[in-house]
Formats: sequence, structure tokens, C-alpha cells
Amino acid sequence: MTKSFSLGPVLGWGLLLLAFAGIATDLSDNSIPTWYWLVLAAWTALSLVYAILRGQMLVFVTKRLFEAVLVLFVIVLSTFLMLRYLPGGPFDSEKALPPEIKANIEAKYGLNRPVALQFLSYMNGLAHGDLGESYKYIGRPISEIIAETLPVSFQLGLYSLLLAYVLGIPIGVISAAKHNTYIDNGLMIVAISGVALPSFIVGPVLVMIFSFGVPISFFHGWLPPALWESPVYYILPVITLGLRPAAIIARMTRASMLDVINADFVRTARAKGLNSNVVLYKHVLRNSLIPVLTISGPLIAGILSGSFIVEIVFGIPGMGKHLVQSVTNRDYPLILGMTLLFSAMLVLANLVVDVLYSVIDPRIRLDS
Amino acid sequence: MRSCSQTLPRTLRRIGLWMLTGGAAAMFIASCTPPENREMIVERPGDAGKLRLPMKDSLRISLTTEPPTLDWHKGSDTVSNQILCNIMEGLMQYDLSDPQLRLKPGLAAKIESRDSARIWVITLRDDVEWSDGVKLTPQHVIDGWKRLLSKETAADSSYFLYPIKNAREYNRGAKDWKDVGVTISGENQITVELTQSMSYFPFVLTHHSTFPIRLDLVEKFGNRWTDPQNIVTLGPYRLTVWQHDKLVVLSRNENYYGAKHGDKPQIQFIVARIIPEQSTELSLFAAAQLDSVHGLPSVELKRLRPTPEYREVPRLGTYYYGFNIHKAPMDRKLFRQAIARAVDRQQIIKLLGGGEAPITDWLPFGMIGYEADRGLSFNPELARELVRKAGYKKPEDVPKIEISFNTRDDHQRIAENVQAQLKTNLGIRVELKNEEWKVYLTSLKTDPAQIFRMGWQADYPDPHTFMSLLLSFSENNYPRWKNTAYDELVLKAASLIDMNERLKLYSEAKQILLEDEVPVLPLYSSVNQILVSGRVENYPLNAMEIFAYKGARLK
Repeated sequence: MTKSFSLGPVLGWGLLLLAFAGIATDLSDNSIPTWYWLVLAAWTALSLVYAILRGQMLVFVTKRLFEAVLVLFVIVLSTFLMLRYLPGGPFDSEKALPPEIKANIEAKYGLNRPVALQFLSYMNGLAHGDLGESYKYIGRPISEIIAETLPVSFQLGLYSLLLAYVLGIPIGVISAAKHNTYIDNGLMIVAISGVALPSFIVGPVLVMIFSFGVPISFFHGWLPPALWESPVYYILPVITLGLRPAAIIARMTRASMLDVINADFVRTARAKGLNSNVVLYKHVLRNSLIPVLTISGPLIAGILSGSFIVEIVFGIPGMGKHLVQSVTNRDYPLILGMTLLFSAMLVLANLVVDVLYSVIDPRIRLDS
Repeated sequence: MRSCSQTLPRTLRRIGLWMLTGGAAAMFIASCTPPENREMIVERPGDAGKLRLPMKDSLRISLTTEPPTLDWHKGSDTVSNQILCNIMEGLMQYDLSDPQLRLKPGLAAKIESRDSARIWVITLRDDVEWSDGVKLTPQHVIDGWKRLLSKETAADSSYFLYPIKNAREYNRGAKDWKDVGVTISGENQITVELTQSMSYFPFVLTHHSTFPIRLDLVEKFGNRWTDPQNIVTLGPYRLTVWQHDKLVVLSRNENYYGAKHGDKPQIQFIVARIIPEQSTELSLFAAAQLDSVHGLPSVELKRLRPTPEYREVPRLGTYYYGFNIHKAPMDRKLFRQAIARAVDRQQIIKLLGGGEAPITDWLPFGMIGYEADRGLSFNPELARELVRKAGYKKPEDVPKIEISFNTRDDHQRIAENVQAQLKTNLGIRVELKNEEWKVYLTSLKTDPAQIFRMGWQADYPDPHTFMSLLLSFSENNYPRWKNTAYDELVLKAASLIDMNERLKLYSEAKQILLEDEVPVLPLYSSVNQILVSGRVENYPLNAMEIFAYKGARLK
């Protein structure tokens, strides 16, 4: 690495630009070409590797990745065992099956073998990248279910998260800047309601207003009440899912801005005679974002688990419903696949957040 | 410090304002003309391009889940059946225009019984072609049955063909296929030998588990033979698009044999969306994006029942309470009779508010052999006396009773109502217990509560499908009630041909079941509540919930 030229900004802005292009393409209802995903993946990997090397986090990240594998193993093992001891099997239904049919089914899926053996054969499949086939959706590979439903959930989650940041950070900034005024109080009341209101209420209420024009008939037919066909359909679900994280981010930004505003370096900056906007956006905001980044990990988790309700309410063909319905169906391979995927995403999200710390604040060192 | 908004450059603020109004306007314009209301464009599988679905030619329905499978030998659920009964057809079919749901020939031109309904000779039509032009042969039928019954398929509906001689043994792996009583006896003819006489065998041939199959395709494509680009069917519709978890599109099969016999499907496309949540279905229906909604949430019934779109059809299904006759106090016959006498079904009907029929008979309302006056009717005084006769002098002497049900709003309300009725009418204290569905099924098998809720849907419109439930060896006999006289009557009735004689025996059996022994307490016979858009004519409404759309029309 040369000192005069830094690759960091190039990678960072490039990534933003790429993401922006992708979102613009998607929102203009065009399909995104495969090469875009390849470029995006390569670019992201490159940026992460650069950030890791630059921040001298190689040892840290490697250690965390090993830990992650261990964590995932424990999750799979415990899920597997808990499922076997959960009352009710995948093939129990209102009509009890004659014994010979039950025996045939158990033989077909290997459920008549000892649990240890079943686990070993599942792990063996996993090691070969095979997540098995669903019991409920007969013969459908779990990997296919994920491949078909994950992109939709990803879309929903990404837009909700974007909305949360785009809405939450400015609201937090304005609230902090107007600390203790009626604007601040008003915004925070809205934010607290946003945290408190569950999406199964927000969703239908939004549908009532913007699809059916109740109580204001002016809005009748503005937005479709459900489905996931084109960007018009995204608006209500994204707002429903994004509202809560937006409120959390707003409150977080405000609190941490208020902290930083009173810091010494801010006073110094102002004493230097800098424009108060420059101080606010350049010095205060940037330093306030660390706590916001910290909660991004849990926020992503919240969006993932919250997507279930939003997907159900709006009839969105995403993955959230499988996460829940697979359990009611006792669809063992699907439950395991979903659990594994969600845990892996969470672990990764948290790791990426940790790496980003040192990008935003060079004072943070992770290698110790 | 000065606040930021005051110092924000004016132009910036103006730009923000323009963007906001512009965005809102664009959203407004975009949403004012949802193109979906006139035409829908769907990606076809593979590189087949796009499919245009004009609304005037498309019936838009909803499915509550992704169809678990379209492999008709492996599926056993109602959602898969909703698609299957449109893309395939059985050797026999229900005449959906007949409220009695009598049979009419399907792929079979005729079916004859010999040796008092123990041998059945089926003659296939000679003009049936699969959607790829191949002619239907008896071998396709036999292939299907063999596949259904083979151990490896592990089909959960294989019991449909158990009446055939040695079929059950073959399914168990104890006999060879050559021992099973099915033979091709002519160019277009199949002879089926049953274990014993069975006058209602033709009903079995309507079920999707007995449909013929093209083994060549199953072998060629493996699990993927049900993908739209691979599947070959012979019903009124063909599977055109199957976007998992989202959408299924069927289009009219121009090669359908029924078209030559005055059974041409009227609607060109059927668009089935997968919508798990009932309230979402209702919103889409209200927004004119769906033409029908099946199974309405009971809290909405009050609002929906008066609307012109509302339809109500009796369904061949009963809702009942079973008694665990091995647990005190339900082990006393007189006490069971007392409980049956102490529950006023009318109250439950009022509570549900959806047109269900109160029954004391074991057969549902509308089933042949249904007797309105069979069973123990509401009589609280007699009930109190029966409790005393059962050996409990005071209501406090009665051991603790539990009513268990699977967690669901309706079940909860019914159980609470029965709890209150037993308290008022008998002075007995009852506790309620709910469990998640699969946990509940396990406890039913291992250790049911004294009183438990259950339901049963007819496999076919014949009393046997209900009467056989409580045979001493039936897997679905949750009360674990055994009565040799009942067994003998029901098995005898099943083997008779004359319906009147059968019904006489069933009536006798039901007397033992419902008036003397009382291991079950039938509460009501269910209905199907459906919303159908005004632009659909002749929407299939029947007691078996067969949603075959070939007779429906769009205005």
C-alpha cells in the first residue's frame, strides 16, 4: 500500500455506486443481470478484504470465522435434537395413517434409523452442500426453496433497511439539533410509537388508508393492498417493515449526537469558527454513527425475523413464512435449512459490522 | 448553536420540496393505473417468453399454501387437489351439477360390477389423449396404481386402493404385484378384483391417487416431472406456469377429450395466487384482484354474510367431541350419555354464525343416510338424572374433566361454550386445555383428555367413510372404543349392494354408537363459506369441495 494513494475511498464509493445502480435497475422494474451480482460480490469481497488488511484484522476475522463455524455446528446439532424430541412428527395429520403406510414413509426418509445416524447422514449431506429435500413440499430441494424465496425477502429487507437509515438518521439529526423544542418532542413521540407499534397493526392500517381510502377517501386505490409484482407493490410492505428500525435508528442517532455535541473536540471545532452545519455534519454526525452501526447487526436480525409477519400480511412470496410454517409442519429439513441460513446471515452481519467499525473510526482496533 | 434547518441553503430546501411532490405525483400516477387490473404478464418457464393473461379470460383464485406437490400419487392435501382436479381427471368423476354428487363416467366409458360388486370391469374411452398427443391406455392406469401402491413411493393415500385384493399386502411388501387383483382384460379394459364386495368402489376412482400416469416421463425427469415444461396431463386445463410460493397458472387444454362430449372448459386461464393469510385474501378480493375466497375467517362472517358475493354450501364434514372412554368419569356409559344430553348444539351454531347445521347424527347433514333424529338430543333434566344414575350423587363427586383442543380461535370459543353449558346444565366444573396442532395429534394418540375435539371430512360421499372411523381397528378411532356388534354391522353394510339395506344396518350401528355407547358427541356438520365475484357464473360449489373450474364462466 502506498501512502499517497488510498484504495479505500475508491472501493467504498464504487460499492455505493454499484448498489445504487442495482437498486435503480430493480426499482425501474427491470431484471438485474447475473453479471451484476458477480461484479457486486467480487467488489464487496475485495472491499472487505481491503478493510481487513488495512485495519490489520486478519487474525481477528479468521478467529471469528472459526468461531462462526463452531456456533453454526452447535445450532444445527441442537436444532436437530430438539426437533426429534418435539412432540408430533412431519407426517402426522388429521387422518391417521395405517401402520404400513407410516412404515413406508419412515423408511423412505430414513426416520426409522437411530437419531445419531440420521444426524450423521444430515451432516454428511451438509458437508457436500446438500440441505436435503422438504417433507412437506414433496421432493423439492431445500436449496431450491431458498434460491426462490430468499431474493424476495432480501429485496424487502434491503429496502426496509434503506428506508430505516434514510428516515431514521435525518430525524435523529434534526431532533438533536433542535434539542428540547416542540419539533424534537414531536419527532420523538412519533419515533416511540414507531418502536411500539407492531407490524401486524401498521400493515393493515396502511392498507386501509392507502388502498381502501378509509377514513380519507382521497387515498382510495393509491397503492395495492398486497402482492409483490412491481415497485408500486413494494411501498406499503417496506414502510411497514422499515418503520420500526427507522424509529430505533432515529432515537439512537439523537442520543449519540447529543453525547457528541458536548464533547471537547466539538467545542474546539466551533471555537475555530467553523460553520455550525459543518461541525454538525462533519464532526458530530460521523462520530455519532458508531452506536448506530452497533445496532445494525441486531437490526438486520429484527428485519429478518420481522419479515415473516409483513410477508404474511402482504402475501409476499418470501422466505419468512417458511421459517415459521416449517415448524408447524414439522418439516425437519426445511426447519434446519432455514435455521442454518438465518444464523449464518446473523453471524456474518455482526462480523461485517465489526469490520466496518474500524473503517468509520480508525481509533478502533480489533486485533488485540 | 443555531439549528440546521434555518441555515440550510434555500435552494436545497426547494429541491427537497420538489422531489417530495414529484415523488408523490409519480407514485400517484403509477398507482392510478395498475395494469394488473386489465392484463397480467407472467414469465413462462424456461425461455418460453411471456404469457399475457387478459383479465376478461382469467379466473383469479387463491391457494392457502404453495401446493405441496402436483405428483398426484404423492399429494394428499386439499391445496394440491385444487390444482390436480383441474389438470387431471379420474376414471370416474362427480357430476358437479348434481347436489347429490352422483358419479358420471370420466376416463372410463363404463364400469360394470360382477359377483355382487366384488369384480369390477372398467372400459376406458378410446378417444382420450394426453396433452402431448399420446393415447391413454389401460397400462397407464395400471402403472399409476402400481406406483401408488409400491413401497418405494411411500404414498400416504395408498389406502384408497386397499380394497383391491392383495393391494395392502403389496404396499406392505408382503406380496408381489402379480398377486394384486388388477388385470388388463381387453384392448381397453381393466378387471379389478376386490377382497370383498364393495358397492361404492367407483367413488375411489374419482380420487387423484388413482389417476393414470405416464411412467416414461416420470422416469425421464425424476422429481421434476411435475414442472410445467415437463408435465403431461389430460384434464380440462394444463399447468403452464408454476412460480413456487407465488403463482400457478393453468391454461385451457385444447386437446381435452371432454370438449368432444359437451364439457368444454369455458374460461381460458386460471390464475392461482398463493396467499396464506385470509385477511389478505379478503383485501385482494375487495380490491378486485381475486375472484373468489374460500374459507372465511369467522370474525368476518357477520360483515360478509349479507353481501351478494357470499355463498354457503354444506360440506360433508363433522365437528365432534370424542370421549376417552378409558378415563374416569368418561368410562361410565351413563355419564357419557349425560354429557351428550347436556350440550345444546344450537348455542354453538349461534356462536359460529356461519350457517353450520347442528347434528346429533354421526353422518353429516347432506350425506345419504343422514338421520336428523338419530342420537341424543338436548335434555338437561334427563342429563342430570343420568349423572346420578352413573353413580355421582352430587356434581362435586364427578372427577376432574378436561376438554382439549388444538389451538385455534373457533375451537377455543366452542370449548368455552361447552364448558359453560356443562356448568349450568349439570353443575360440573370442566377445565380447558389447548395444544399446538402436532402436539395435539400426539397426545390424541398417546393420552387423550377425557373430552377432545376432532373433525372428519368425507373421502367420498358414502356413509362408509364416516362409519368406518369407529371400527375397533381403525387408526382414527381416537376414543379407542371397541364394540363387536358395531364392527359386524358396519362391515356387513359395506359389503352389501342394495343401498336401502345398507342404510338399515348403518342406522342400527348408529343406534349403538350414538344412543347407547356414546364414545363420540357430534356437534355440527360444517359448511363451506365462499366469496365469489359477480363476474363469475357457475362457480363450483359442492359438498366435497371439489374446485373443478371447467363448468365456470366469466361474464
